[in-house]
Order: sequence, then C-alpha cells, then structure tokens
Amino acid sequence: MSNTTQGDVPEEAAQTAASGSTDASLASQRKSSRTGRARTSGPGSDGGQGGGNHNRGKWIAGIIIAVVVVVAVILGVVWSRRTTPSENGASGTTQETMTVGLKLAPTNMDIRNQSGSALDQVLIDNIYEPLVGRNAENKTTAGLAKSWDVSDDATTYTFHLNEGMTFSNGDALDSEDVVWSLNQLLEKKYAGYDLLRNIDSIAAQDANTVVIKLTAPYSDLLWSLSGRPGLVFDKDAQYDAKTEAIGSGPYLLKSFRENDSVTLERNENYWGTKKATIKTIILRYYADDNAALNAFKSGSIQVLAPVMNAKMTSSLTSDDRFVVGQGDGTDKYVLGMNNKGTVLSNIKVRQAIRYAINHDEIIASRGGVDAALGGPIPSLDPGYEDLTDLYPHNVNKAKELLKEAGYDDDNPLTLRLEYANTYGTEFGEQLKSQLKEVGIDLQVKVVEFSTWLQDVYTNHDYDLSLVDHNESHDFYQWADPTYYYGYDSKEVQDLYAKSLAATDESQQEEYLKQAARKVSEDAAADWLLNYRVTTAYDKGVTGFPMNLNQSRLPLASVDYKK
Amino acid sequence: MKGFRSRLRRALSKIGGTFGYIWHRGEGRFALIVLGIWLLVCIVAAFWTPESLDTSDGYNTWASPSPAHPLGTDGTGRDMLSWLMAGSGTELQIVVATCMLAALIGIVFISFTLARSALASEIAVVVTDTLLSIPIVLIALILAVPLGASLTVIIIACGVSYGLNLARIAKPQAVLAANSRYVEAARAAGSSRGRAFFRHVLPNVIPVMSVQLSICAGTAILAEAGLTYLGIGVPAGTASWGASLSASASFISIFPLTVVWPGALITIVVVALNLFGDSLRRAVDPVVNSQLRAAAEEVERGSGK
Repeated sequence: MSNTTQGDVPEEAAQTAASGSTDASLASQRKSSRTGRARTSGPGSDGGQGGGNHNRGKWIAGIIIAVVVVVAVILGVVWSRRTTPSENGASGTTQETMTVGLKLAPTNMDIRNQSGSALDQVLIDNIYEPLVGRNAENKTTAGLAKSWDVSDDATTYTFHLNEGMTFSNGDALDSEDVVWSLNQLLEKKYAGYDLLRNIDSIAAQDANTVVIKLTAPYSDLLWSLSGRPGLVFDKDAQYDAKTEAIGSGPYLLKSFRENDSVTLERNENYWGTKKATIKTIILRYYADDNAALNAFKSGSIQVLAPVMNAKMTSSLTSDDRFVVGQGDGTDKYVLGMNNKGTVLSNIKVRQAIRYAINHDEIIASRGGVDAALGGPIPSLDPGYEDLTDLYPHNVNKAKELLKEAGYDDDNPLTLRLEYANTYGTEFGEQLKSQLKEVGIDLQVKVVEFSTWLQDVYTNHDYDLSLVDHNESHDFYQWADPTYYYGYDSKEVQDLYAKSLAATDESQQEEYLKQAARKVSEDAAADWLLNYRVTTAYDKGVTGFPMNLNQSRLPLASVDYKK
Repeated sequence: MKGFRSRLRRALSKIGGTFGYIWHRGEGRFALIVLGIWLLVCIVAAFWTPESLDTSDGYNTWASPSPAHPLGTDGTGRDMLSWLMAGSGTELQIVVATCMLAALIGIVFISFTLARSALASEIAVVVTDTLLSIPIVLIALILAVPLGASLTVIIIACGVSYGLNLARIAKPQAVLAANSRYVEAARAAGSSRGRAFFRHVLPNVIPVMSVQLSICAGTAILAEAGLTYLGIGVPAGTASWGASLSASASFISIFPLTVVWPGALITIVVVALNLFGDSLRRAVDPVVNSQLRAAAEEVERGSGK
C-alpha cells in the first residue's frame, strides 16, 4: 500500500494547480468586467443627459476613437504577420536563453522528501543524475555507471562508474557517494525507497566500483536505479535542499520560485564530454491552459508541454512558426471497477461495461491523439501487448451479458461513477451517455481529490472510478487484493511474483504479458486510453524530448536557434 | 366568501396595474418579454428538447453551428441548444428556491427586530450585520464540504445572504409601520402582536421586498455561474448555464463561440431581471408612479367626503 501514495501525489499537485488557476482567472475576470463596465457606462449616461450639439460632438469623438482603435489593431496584426517570416528565415545561432512552459509546479526542490513527478521532471538528468540512465523509450542505459555486470543468479550487481566525475561544487563523485546515497535512501526511507527491494548490502569495492547484493532476484532493480532511488548526492555538501540543489548534472539550479519558475544554468564544469547546449533555461509554470497557450503564441515561451487538450492545437498547427507533436507516455486512464462490490463482483457486468464503452469515440473527442489501451501495461513498459481486440465496442453483446447477469429494461442497472474533478466533467458525461445505450444508468459524481481519496481509495465505497495512473512499472496494483480495485487473482499474483524473480529480461516480460492478459480478460477494469503528451515548440527548437516529458525532461542536448 | 373574492379581484387588478405600468416603459417591456420567453423555454424544455440530453457524439466535439446543431456542440459532443434549454429550467429552480428562502429568512429576521424585548431586537440586528459580512462564496465553500457540489449549496448560500440583506433593507420600513398609529390602534382594539405584524406591518414591507427579491433573482443566476465555475455549484451531468459556461471557459481561446452562447444568455436574463426590479420599484413607489399617487389621492378624497 505504501508505494501507492507515490502515484497519488501528482494528482494532488494537479489539483492545487487547478485551484490556483481558478483564482487567477477569477481575478482576471473580475478585472476585465470592471473595466468593461467602466467603458460602457460612459457613453450611455452621457447619451441620456446631454443633448444637441454637445451630444453629437461626443458621438463623433467616440466614433473617431473607435476608428483609431480598429486601424491600430489592423496595422498591428499586419505588422506582426510581416515580421515573422524574416525571423523564420535565418537558421541562426544558438540562443543564450530558452523558456519552457510547463503545467505542474513542484512545491519545493527537496527530491528526497517531496514526492511528485514535477520534481523528477526538473531535477533528474538536469541537476541530479541517477546511477543508471534511462532513455526516451523508458529503457535503462549507461548513467553515472558506464556499465554493470549481473551474476547468473541475478543477486549480485557490480556497477562500474565513470572516472573523474564531479559535483557542481567541485567535489569528486565516486563510489563512496553512491553507497552513501543509496544507504541513506533505505535508512531514512526517502521518497522512492520502496522501489529498491530485496537489498542485502550495498558496498564500494573500490573508488569506481559499487556492488549491490540482493537476497533474492529483483528484475526491476536496474529500472528503479534509473529513477529517483538511484540518484547520487554529494555526501559532504551542505545546502538547503528545499530551495537549492547540488548535483552532478549538466545544469545548475540558479533559482526556484514557487508556483512560478525554475531557472537552470549550464554547469560549465560538467564532468561529461558533452556540456549543455543552451546557457540558461527557464521553466515556467502555467496553471491555466489558456494563459500558457497565449504565452506560447506570443513568443514569450518557446516550448509548451503539455498542450493540455489536443483540440487546442488546431490554432497552432496552421501556424508555420510552430511545430506540434505527440510523445508516448505511461499515463493510463483507468476506469476502476470495484471487483468486490455487490454488482461488479459479477464478471458478466464488468465485461458488459467493457463492451459498452466506445474507446475510439472517447479518444476522438479529445483530439484523436491518445492511444487505445486494452490492458494494464502501456507500450513503454515491459510486458506490453496490444489487447484492444479483447473487448471491442459491441452494444449487443453488452446487452446480452447484462441480461445473463439479470438486468434488463424491467430491472435496469444503476451504477455510481465517482472521480476527482482534475479530469474534467467530459469523461463522466461521455460514459453516462455510452452506458445509457446498453441500459445502464450511470450516476456521475465529480468530487474534490480529497473526497475521492476518502471514498474510493481508502473506503472502497464505489462502483466505478476514473484515475490517471501515470506511473511506469506499476503492475503491482493488480497483484495486490487490498488495492482499491479489489482485484484478487491467484494466477496474476503468482505471475507477477515470477516476473519480479525472473533472472532475465525476456522472462520478466513474458510473465508480465501473461499476467496483463489475464487481468484484461477478467475485465478487472477498463482502460479508456493511454494519454499521449502533446508538445508544441518554436520551429527553431531541436532535440526536445517528446516521450514521457512530464516525468523526465533531459534538457542538455536541446538547442534553440534563431 | 364574497369579501374574499372582491379582495382577490382588487389584488389582481393591483398586480395587473403594476405590470401595465412596467410594460408601459421600454426597459420594463424588454424585461417582461425576456422573462416571458425564459418561462416559455423552461416549460418547453421540460417536455422536449431538439436532441435528447443523453446523446453525445464524441466524433463531433466543439462543432461550429450547423443545421443539426444550431449553436454547435460542447466538449462532450452534445447539442448546445438542447443543454442551454434544459439549463433554463435549472436556473428557474435556483431562482425560485433562492427567492423563497431569502423572503422567509428576511421576514423572520424582520419580525425579530420588531420583537418586544429590546435585547432580542438588538441581538437580531447584530446577528444580521455580522452574518452579512460573510461573503457568499465562503458560505458556499463551507456548505460544499458536507453537501458536495449541489443545487442546495447555491440555494442556501444565496438565500441566507440575500435574506439577511433583505431584512437589513426592509427594516426601516417595518419599524415605521410597527410604530404607526394604525398598528397602535389595532393593538388597542385587541389584535395580537402576530396578527398586527402579518396584517399591518408585512403589507408595508412587501413592495420593498419584491423589488429586492427580483434583484436577488438576477444575482442568484450570476452566483450559480460563479460557484459552478469554482466546482461547488451545479453537479456534473445537470444542465445549467453556469456549467456550460465553465466547461467552455477553458477553451475560450480556441472555441470562443461556445462561451458566447451561455455567456450572452446569462447576461440577457440577468439584465432583464435587474431591469424588472428597477421597473417594479418605479411601479410601486408613489413618489415616482404618478398613477399610484393619483389613485391614492382619490382614495383620500373619497374618504374625506
């Protein structure tokens, strides 16, 4: 249960971000309505009181002002249109500064204590580096360790570190720092410690070699070490981790302003062969999607990730100053079903719901860029298999199954759907109308995240629920019968245990594949879609990571020419 | 029985006269026409909308106006026109319930301020003033904790706030009436305090109250839109103008038209309600309404004879 909290925090952060945006836009609305009123009340009251020439004079003045404004606006538009091609023409030189617009803001910079993907996004690969690297396909590569050996029984991992590594403060980075960082993580139970399992010992063999011994094989060890648990910190450095960061990465944390921005500056003494391309990168947080889009269109930010709804891109794709693209991710929009609930413990009802849902339509309504997902494992995770044809959209079959379960027009089925308001009301409304077609009356309740936590996550008092489970490698949810799905399958639990104990990768994937298929066949839940991040950037920007860029954003090789 | 019928006739002709006076002026006519259409749409939408409210077309979201969808579709692919029509019923419910609650609370507090005991009346005044200083949004946020997003939140928050306001505004009128000679006479003739309040004081307050309530009605619609935007108003799945507006608001820079429809609707109806309140005040205020003055003089002359 404890490792589940990790996945929830981003959502909570999203919520605070959302409420922040509400306040901001309310304030702006109030402001605009006030000015609007002031403007309109002027001529109106004058018109009523004044008369004759005086009145006419005012009208003429008003018309002149209006004409001037219109002409100014037209000129402004024409002028801005005309200047853009010349800007585009030059392939130019690399800019000193680039600004990136993001959505979820971290509350502080303390990556050891503060969970949430917003922190991973800023700090990992840019400021702190993990022992094992991770590439854009979510696979492990060389990191601080240039290579590693695994014993045949997969219980001893020997890591060979790069030589001559330094932290940004000049301290050397060697096996001592690695061992200290990992041991501290386990000892003090810092964020992500539970991803390192079966650890027997972590020790330095020499200055450039670290040996991790396991009590039993753990196939996710390398992947875990490529994330937060594998980060290496300077043992001797003293700094306020909430606002400062001293790591070994290609960037330095120059400033952090809560809910506003993070400024990164190139680490001129980076130990690696390739230093960061752009000198200063500012990450700016926009809680409000419209504000973000406007900032992007006006050129005050060069990259916007994510463009919240792909429908928003219609105004960007037509503009040749911008490039719009999608990246894969591990966000699974899971329609959770209470497998222990009175109605949904019946597999026929669950299957009927899966047949009743038209995933294509849901994806199309969001702009058609998300991927269909037929099971619990997304394409970037090990064990992925396209399971979308297990339950294709089929209204008649859904009705049949419901009839077999004892529900028809005379005895209609009523179900509750409860989910957090961060996901918007559209999902609920769509599901309501799709399930109506097979005779299920869906009662949708959109609530605060804290209410959802209480009702669904803790008390399991729900029929259906919708959550974006954005974590990677999170199959444990289906092997844990106490999780809020209440899905309890011995077969799946065994397969998952086998996958963790597997000594080679293909074996691990095979077990996970079988387990995922079983979960999907049992209709333990429905997977509405696999969210794909839409990123928009200035056409002068190259090398911006598209995959998984909401949890990992390596910026060192990004270039921005003008 | 005969007395009742004649009284009813008199009351009806009085109301008719008031409406006639309102209709007489341009802004009053506008208000009456808009409010009439609103009621008509509410009745129609209760039985029929161009498209069923359960229909949604995910392949056709945020569509521009077309013959099939005269006002386009929203983010779920539902017909905007149908949902706005259905929303007018929800608004009417909110407005009616809010006004009734406000009137009730107003009357209760006025009766307290007129209480025999000076302490009770003092307490009522202090309580009114104190509660008035709490913003509607805060009341709504507190109520939303146990109730969740629901119509009840809007109705109670607005009803309480406007009711107290009402009590504050109508109080001088009520005190004036309560201290008048005719109330004194009625009391001397043996009528109870309660009877005196309902027969003599309340009728004096009703004109002020009805004007205030029609303004409350406009504000209630605005409050619905605002609170729904904050996520504590109308629950998901219920049609309302505020819900349509807040759903579209996040896409204002891409699909501005979808914000225009509910926005314009709210503006027009709220303006109409406010103008109606203004006209009503004119109609029932003898200082402004010369017809009323003439009638009063006639009565006076008649009684003088």
